[in-house]
Amino acid sequence: MSATHEPYDTFAALHAVGALDGDDLREFETHLASGCARCATLVRQTEQALARAAMAGPPEPPPSGVRERLVRRAAVAGAPGRRRWLAWAVGLVAAAVAAGAFSAAYVAARYEARLGQMARETSAAKQRLAQTEGALRDELDLLRDPTTRLVELHGQTTAPGAAARVLLTEKAGGLLLATKLPPLPPGKVYALWTVAGDAPRVAGVFVPDEGGLATLKVPPDATSAPARVLSVTVEPEGGIQAPTGAVVLAPR
Amino acid sequence: MSNGADLIQQMADGDAEAFARFYDRYAPLIYPLILRILPDSTDAAECLQDVFWEARERARTYDPARGTADAWVVTRARSRAIERMRTARRRRDPGRRAMAPAATSPERPAAIDRSVLTRAFERLPDPQREALELAYYGGLTQTEITARLKQPLGTVKTRLRLALDRLREMVRPA
Repeated sequence: MSATHEPYDTFAALHAVGALDGDDLREFETHLASGCARCATLVRQTEQALARAAMAGPPEPPPSGVRERLVRRAAVAGAPGRRRWLAWAVGLVAAAVAAGAFSAAYVAARYEARLGQMARETSAAKQRLAQTEGALRDELDLLRDPTTRLVELHGQTTAPGAAARVLLTEKAGGLLLATKLPPLPPGKVYALWTVAGDAPRVAGVFVPDEGGLATLKVPPDATSAPARVLSVTVEPEGGIQAPTGAVVLAPR
Repeated sequence: MSNGADLIQQMADGDAEAFARFYDRYAPLIYPLILRILPDSTDAAECLQDVFWEARERARTYDPARGTADAWVVTRARSRAIERMRTARRRRDPGRRAMAPAATSPERPAAIDRSVLTRAFERLPDPQREALELAYYGGLTQTEITARLKQPLGTVKTRLRLALDRLREMVRPA
């Protein structure tokens, strides 16, 4: 071996006996990984020299029983590695089956939950549709009724852009359709007032949506003949007997 | 009689008879080495059993191009014995780093002293033999040997390198 290959000749010898450590070990492993055939040969030769030396002495009888245990174990295990491979394969299949079962159960549970939710949503939509259909039918009936009167309400100074139409019948009640109503302060509602005789009475209270639109179904007792629409005012929530707040809509 | 490489190949193919022959051939040769590293005979017997079972299970990985069958078996035996020695030492003395018994440990069976490597080792100068025994039997690294012998690292490396160069010369096949 030439001296120009140092320190790797020394590293190779020490590596073969397991004595290399630290930076030397890292450097040598990098060098060996680069494909140095000389070092690979030197490591192999040194390992073989140690093996030959180790086996050159007088043999020592191994303890009794070891051979029998090994032979018996080999007979049970079958070919080398087979049991481990088989166990691995069985484990893999079992894991796949378990994963499949879990996935199926998980997916089924997810879909069942989703289907349940969809069924509930469908039922609620049907209910809403039926309510809307019923309301529209009532409104159509109201329009068809020859006794129905139309009262137009106009925005007053507090809400000049607002407007509403009230359909009224003596027997079937009525319907208020309002637009461009200003938002209400907290704790307040709009109240529709009618009058039959001298005393005004509240025909219903309502809150418009964010766009200022509102619909109010008026009960028949609020429109019993000969009722007149007085106004829409802003009132506190609950327990109102007479108009007290600002008039927002009124007949012209 | 089959050579070691053939036995390993037959063993890999599941030949139960080859496994028994492999054991008969190598067990008496490597047991002294295991006993030198693991003086407790129970530990040594367990280690011997582990070495042969592992050799059987790993027989397919043996590549004749990368070394002789003898080197394959001896290297496995030594590695397994060193591992056991370190594990036992950590269990007994968890605060201390794994260190080998001194080369002249009194617990070492005298009959084994002459049986393993010693013929080749005896012909080495004492400082080289001492460093090599600490590495080979004790599983110590160059840094650990430096601490044990209180010698500079460069000196330890040189002693090991010279010892191994001479060993290769001594046991070179005719």
